[in-house]
Amino acid sequence: MANIEALDLKKFITDAVYGVFDTMLSMSVSTSDKEFRSNGEGRHIVGSVGFAGKLTGNVCIHLNEGFARLITAAMLGMETDEIEGDEEVYDVVGELSNMIGGDLKSRFSDANLPCNLSIPSITSGSDFTLESKGWERHESFVFQNQENLALVEVFVKEEK
Amino acid sequence: MALKVLTVDDSKTIRMIVKKAFKSFECELFEAENGRQGLEVAKKERPGLIVLDITMPVMTGTEMLAKLKNDPDLKDTPVIMLTAESGKENVLEIVKMGVSDYVVKPFKGEQLIERVTKILTLEPKKGAEPEDTSKKFFSVDGDVQILTLPQKIDRPTSVEIEGHLKGKIEAMLGSGLKKMILDMQKVVGTNVILIKLIIAIIQNCQNANIRVRVVGTRALHDELKEFQETSEIPIDLSIEEAKEKFQTG
Repeated sequence: MANIEALDLKKFITDAVYGVFDTMLSMSVSTSDKEFRSNGEGRHIVGSVGFAGKLTGNVCIHLNEGFARLITAAMLGMETDEIEGDEEVYDVVGELSNMIGGDLKSRFSDANLPCNLSIPSITSGSDFTLESKGWERHESFVFQNQENLALVEVFVKEEK
Repeated sequence: MALKVLTVDDSKTIRMIVKKAFKSFECELFEAENGRQGLEVAKKERPGLIVLDITMPVMTGTEMLAKLKNDPDLKDTPVIMLTAESGKENVLEIVKMGVSDYVVKPFKGEQLIERVTKILTLEPKKGAEPEDTSKKFFSVDGDVQILTLPQKIDRPTSVEIEGHLKGKIEAMLGSGLKKMILDMQKVVGTNVILIKLIIAIIQNCQNANIRVRVVGTRALHDELKEFQETSEIPIDLSIEEAKEKFQTG
């Protein structure tokens, strides 16, 4: 219990998100007080990976379709109109969540909470919310690049 | 003979990034989506290098590596592991597995190539003379060197421009050009990379006693005012205005 409560999840998440966006996308992001809205134009895409071990939980990145396509184009070095289909977008969002999850997993392990990482999964649709119950910690942060927002949520608990 | 490189990763994105990283070199790229496929391709193609992800469905990279090490024909194939986890335990485990090196995601293609060149010699792709890509950005207008920035400045573009800058400044000094216009009229949106690039260009010019003026739209002018580093830089609204300022300034 004490281990989980002592984790500086805000720093873990912001460092991981800044690092991934800067290295893979050459995009600078900053934390934002704005509310992420999933019912805007286009679909709402969520990439998530799970942690299982001494610490269990998951991390999710929520994106609206427009931002997901921008990220896909940046990751693959192309323009958005060159994206071949949803599979490319889902693969990039999955990889994005895998990289953020991998960074968090390393930090959890270094904090004496070793765990394994699942392969990424994607949820896509319109006007939905994810509810998660039974976790010791649930933190969420909104990140902004120009007018685009991304919501990163992490849910964790320590296995006894 | 081209080096055969096998990328084993369940993510098409990562396979594309690896493919792009090797595109300037004499390499033949092969791909597999998991360890089982990876082993099949490795047995058939006998690659000179395997770039191997760890977390994959069907067969993980760790399992594939163990099978490679038990195969007399493949056990000496250099393997670079890709891992999303940089924790000490994970790194130690990777090293123990006997891989040649590892790269932690997120990574740039250049970082992967840097690791590869530590264990293998990569031959640049044969063919036409390398294109002078500086022409995309640099042109001469009378006695002024124009550096035109594209609409979007990302890290690779910034690195490319900075890579050309020193040579261009030397060429300017050799030919007596002492004025540069940084034309940013096409640029849409600012970011940290752009700001750093602007500062680098101005400082390089100042160090070489080259006068530099910056041209941009009014919107860009307003955005640059928001950054401490660029808030004091005067912006001209056209090339002609900048040239006039060189005459009068």
